[in-house]
Amino acid sequence: MTRPIVFPAVLAALVLAGAAPPHAARNGSVRGRVELRRVAPTPEPRPSVADLGARLTRDGSDRLRSVVYLETAPRGAFDQSDPAHSIMDQRNETFVPHVLAITTGTTVDFPNSDRIYHNVFSLSRTKSFDLGRYAAGRSKSIRFDRPGIVRVFCDIHSHMSAFILVFNHPFFAMTDAEGRYRIENIPPGSYNVVAWNEGLASEPRVAVIPDGGSAELDFLLR
Amino acid sequence: MKECTRAQRRCQLGHWPSVAPYNSLKVRILSSRGRVAIAGACVVPLATAALGRAQGFPSEPLVFGAGRVTVGGDVSATTSCAETPGTGSCGTDTGFFNYSDYEYSTLRMLRVDINAVVKANRYMAVLAEVRSENGGSPRPYGLYVRLRPWTERAFDIQAGRIPPTFGAFARRTYANDNLLIGYPLAYQYLTSLRPDAVPASADELLQMRGRGWLSNFSLGNLAKDRGVPIMSAFRWDTGVQAHAGWSWTDVAGAITTGSLANPLVADDNNGKQVAGRMTLHPQAGLLVGLSGARGRFLTQAASRSAGSTDPNRDSVQSAIGADAEYSRDYYLIRFEAIRSTWTLPTIDAPLRATAAWLEGRYKIHPRLYAAGRLDHVGFTSITGVVRAGSWDAPVTRVELGGGFLIVRNLQLKASFQRNTRPAGRVTHLKIGAVQAVFWF
Repeated sequence: MTRPIVFPAVLAALVLAGAAPPHAARNGSVRGRVELRRVAPTPEPRPSVADLGARLTRDGSDRLRSVVYLETAPRGAFDQSDPAHSIMDQRNETFVPHVLAITTGTTVDFPNSDRIYHNVFSLSRTKSFDLGRYAAGRSKSIRFDRPGIVRVFCDIHSHMSAFILVFNHPFFAMTDAEGRYRIENIPPGSYNVVAWNEGLASEPRVAVIPDGGSAELDFLLR
Repeated sequence: MKECTRAQRRCQLGHWPSVAPYNSLKVRILSSRGRVAIAGACVVPLATAALGRAQGFPSEPLVFGAGRVTVGGDVSATTSCAETPGTGSCGTDTGFFNYSDYEYSTLRMLRVDINAVVKANRYMAVLAEVRSENGGSPRPYGLYVRLRPWTERAFDIQAGRIPPTFGAFARRTYANDNLLIGYPLAYQYLTSLRPDAVPASADELLQMRGRGWLSNFSLGNLAKDRGVPIMSAFRWDTGVQAHAGWSWTDVAGAITTGSLANPLVADDNNGKQVAGRMTLHPQAGLLVGLSGARGRFLTQAASRSAGSTDPNRDSVQSAIGADAEYSRDYYLIRFEAIRSTWTLPTIDAPLRATAAWLEGRYKIHPRLYAAGRLDHVGFTSITGVVRAGSWDAPVTRVELGGGFLIVRNLQLKASFQRNTRPAGRVTHLKIGAVQAVFWF
């Protein structure tokens, strides 16, 4: 009674085994360095001519860090992953980090770590929002569901600004303090890679990722 | 030497009307200035939008010299339309409810503010603000040196033409900071009092009720000219100011040459004004301020003409003020009250004015907010030989409006205000206004 069922199953397994490649392709990576000819200056507060005194000095935000990403992502990269959480702090009248790269579906928390009010808002097409004024110790969150660039500001402190880059795939990386980056786990193939810093994107450059290997790609911006 | 005001110069040139106010001169001036404001109101947002698209307009302050020089700006173009019963057309503010002097309406104005900070070192900076109104030549509004002897402590000394110590609104007169378009009455509405002319009697002062935009008295400067607001938001005083801040409070004090109503660059009253302010900020979002000021108001010439025996007592403006601000989530509420007292050599009773306003804002959308202000200024009663009543006509204003952000630093505002005053030729006036504001 069981023969009619077992035979087709064995046959199918053999066919699949024969059609499979001799070994599974191993993912690779792209790495390199983004060099900035000129670092974008940290915005100064508007001149406080009408104030009774000077404002306390604050830390400059980090304008050195860039984002490198695949412009064309491999098939399957757009599969939904688990919802993630990121944090963009408001500290010493500065958004920390100044640039945040996330995938769609990520919820970003905006805690206020200052003694004063902040009011995070964005008018970007990708995500327009206004979190209102809230005090130290409180946090509000926004979920980013569409890919794109979101420019974030504080409605009270005009010198506070930040970028959130929302990708619909995970193939992106932030550079370190020296401008180095590494995007991991890329299936072998040919991809367009772009470097971005403070609103300026490079021309796409082609990276060929070998099977289980790594490609090198450096960028010069500004 | 006799002072020659702008109004006088026009008078000398033969432009002065033979009969009082509401005249052809006003219409002529307003129409030309109105055109400038209307053109500006149209051109500024369009130009900004176009240039913004081309990445040609600054969205942040300009920084030069390795961060030593920072330049910011605030450009606003405002135009308005007052009701003209029976005609159905768009009129001017015939009640002079929004004029800052005889020629300038705050509701028909193209204003350009450029401000800059030049940091000499960690301890010293020079700050300046230059302003142009209706295309006129730029005038210095503020120019002073700021010293911070201890960089880690919030202690500053400012000397020169310095920002006002008294009150809250005077330091946020930029269109970008004003929730609505009109100014609070305490800072803009012109009373009939003048620093260079003195009424000979209470009757003469009472005769000028509601005529602050162009008053004249029989002692001192005899020419017609504008009166003064309780506190001027259009000029800064000259002197020295000290400020210290802690986590929950700020205190500031200043000695200047002018008075709240009549800030000066060059001393003309042979006296000094002393002003002080304390701000408490017990929690984030809450500010409570208390202010006081006392200084000579009348010029020496006017004081002498009026037979002053003790200018320190009979030619003085003194004022106290309280203000509060509370904000949370999408709300912002502000309140301010000022009580000012003037003494004149010719009138026994002190002349008091009390102004109070309450304003609020609610953000409906990231780009859109609604705002409103209830504003009143009242005056104490005096008694003359043939007249009695409040020494100037009380004014009440309700202003409702809102703002829409086109981009972060380009905003369109619209407001509607209703003014009422029981004296003067125009006792009720409704005015609609629109304003485009660009800042960097």
